[in-house]
Amino acid sequence: MPRRLGLFVLTTVFAGLAAGQSLTPSERQSNIESFETVWKTVLDNHWDPQMGGLDWQAVHDELRPNIEAATTMSQARQIMTSMLDRLHQTHFGVFPGDLYKELDTPDSSGGKGSGGGSRSGNPGIDLRVLEGHAVVTSVEPGSPAASRGVKAGWEIVRVNAREMAPVLAGIREQFSTSTLLDIRLTRSVLSRLQGKSGSTVQLDFLDGRDQAVSLNLERTQPRGRIASLGNFPGDYFWAEWRKVRPDVAYVRFNQFMDPETLTKTVEESVKGCRDCSGFVIDVRGNPGGIGGLAMGVAGWFIDQSGLQLGTEYLRGTTLKFVVFPRPQPFRGPLAVLVDGCSASTAEIFAGGLKDVRRARVFGTRTAGAALPSIVTRLPNGDGFQYAIANYVSQGGKPLEGIGVIPDEEVRLTRHQLLEGQDSVLEAALDWIQKQNK
Amino acid sequence: MKYLSVRRSTWIGMTALFAAAGALAAADNLPKGETILDKYIEATGGKAAYAKLHNEISTGTMEFAAMGLKGKLVAYSAEPDKRVAEFTLQGIGKILDGVNGEVAWASSAIQGPRVKEGDEKAEALLEGQFNAEAHWRDIFKSAETVAVEAVDGKDCYKVVVTSKAGKKMTRWYDKQSNLLLKNIMVSKSPMGELEAVSTFSDYRKEGDILVPHKVVAQVAGRELTMTVEKVEYNAEIPTGKFDLPDDIKALLKKPAQ
Repeated sequence: MPRRLGLFVLTTVFAGLAAGQSLTPSERQSNIESFETVWKTVLDNHWDPQMGGLDWQAVHDELRPNIEAATTMSQARQIMTSMLDRLHQTHFGVFPGDLYKELDTPDSSGGKGSGGGSRSGNPGIDLRVLEGHAVVTSVEPGSPAASRGVKAGWEIVRVNAREMAPVLAGIREQFSTSTLLDIRLTRSVLSRLQGKSGSTVQLDFLDGRDQAVSLNLERTQPRGRIASLGNFPGDYFWAEWRKVRPDVAYVRFNQFMDPETLTKTVEESVKGCRDCSGFVIDVRGNPGGIGGLAMGVAGWFIDQSGLQLGTEYLRGTTLKFVVFPRPQPFRGPLAVLVDGCSASTAEIFAGGLKDVRRARVFGTRTAGAALPSIVTRLPNGDGFQYAIANYVSQGGKPLEGIGVIPDEEVRLTRHQLLEGQDSVLEAALDWIQKQNK
Repeated sequence: MKYLSVRRSTWIGMTALFAAAGALAAADNLPKGETILDKYIEATGGKAAYAKLHNEISTGTMEFAAMGLKGKLVAYSAEPDKRVAEFTLQGIGKILDGVNGEVAWASSAIQGPRVKEGDEKAEALLEGQFNAEAHWRDIFKSAETVAVEAVDGKDCYKVVVTSKAGKKMTRWYDKQSNLLLKNIMVSKSPMGELEAVSTFSDYRKEGDILVPHKVVAQVAGRELTMTVEKVEYNAEIPTGKFDLPDDIKALLKKPAQ
């Protein structure tokens, strides 16, 4: 079986990479061919042959003159993106072929990826937008941000002298009714922090006492190692587990990628905490990855054969997301942590476990971006991600545009972050404790 | 895959009705399915050549071109009914699929180990028969020629074969060369039913047997190309290659839920 990508990241993270040089005649022709490939691929592969009533031919005919007139790669990409935007669905997008070149550039450790990439480094900060403010939610130990004393709870006011408040307000207005609001807000700031490894970014913070702090932070190679899959250019992947209390395991991974490493991490956690009173799996900020891994990870926590997380509807084919229980799964209380930046496979995982009543979900509504997709290359060298199926969680509702609604809605606050508290994790730990009384 | 709207499906259904009637009318003049299957055995080496084979190691590559996903395949099989296939896909890791005459199983880093049951198990046991084609009468209860159809411009006999377990497969055999050019079957698994349309080409000799070195399969709307690089017969298969993996043994010991 071909492996599907349930990963909502490409079009949001890489959309800013664009070349502005004018095109040669052959590049123009290549863009026209790419436009036709995108159009035909969607026509042939969209799970709904009627495309919800959209006149796809009319979209083609309207935009074809524009692609013929496009004079830069950036324009050409914008036109193809505009065509895909008419679908009003996630997991459709075009991203620059330059990204593949970047990932083929050796990094400082001699591994693949990141060396010369324009987006490969960051200062070691993760953040969320809380009540309209960009707030640091965690700082990577050993990172430039950590070494300069940046703490969770600090507010990022300006990035390279650009005020974040109006940027965030604009996005909030544009996506006010969308489940994608949180992910758009977060990525609008995160993407500004990213850049070439070795470069710097000027950040103006408000610290824990609301005092202004200005720091020029170096961008370094992100944590983990590149995990790619076919035409999906890949991103840095890591997985970890630890005991957050003597009898509770905490598992976290930033994507559903690199099956062997992820499986090994989860296996070690289950074997290392078999008699624990509970497990917490944290998929906050996790954009997804290989769809099948939702079932694979769930198999460590389900003991009953035949349970399914949901159903994938391709054109002419239906596939059940059945979980195959591992030989000795963990049977105790399981909490899954989500937020508005949990997308795709992370939603399939959390939503399915919630629907079969195997896990209790804590946090905030997920991104509602859960369409199985694949990534292919276009004649002009760009990457093209397109959804090939709809996905309905076992509870009977599609995740696309709806997301997973937690059993217990818990929001992070800046105040709690400054106190060193993770309110979502603590709610999950309290629930686990109650289950064992 | 059938990418048809409801309205188009209706027309296809109507067409199929007439096509079936035409096929029945023509069936009187078509060679028997049994004859075609026997000719295929002769065309690929003959019964005597097949009888000399006791095991096989096939190596090759696989590619989902549209996704840029590539991998390697090594398949070990031995008489009477043992087989283990090892797929290694970039970015995914190793996927194992095996059968030993009694247990059919699969294991991957993505979904973990599992023991096949029901129709899926029956299908795997059938596929695990070593040189199944050479003694097809032990496996298939019928082979019926239903039409003449072209595959890649070559006239073929379309033969519907039915296994003793009742599973149907439709095959197209080249009228001139008697070689198998196309196969359609529906595979069942706990995830659902998947139709696989496979075409076979680049027949070349490996030892005394003519083997298709290129197989292109259409599954769930995606195209998978498998290229055979080498086939070794009566080879030194590593000891224990057909033993059940530990996690499969653990699953078999586990009480049913």
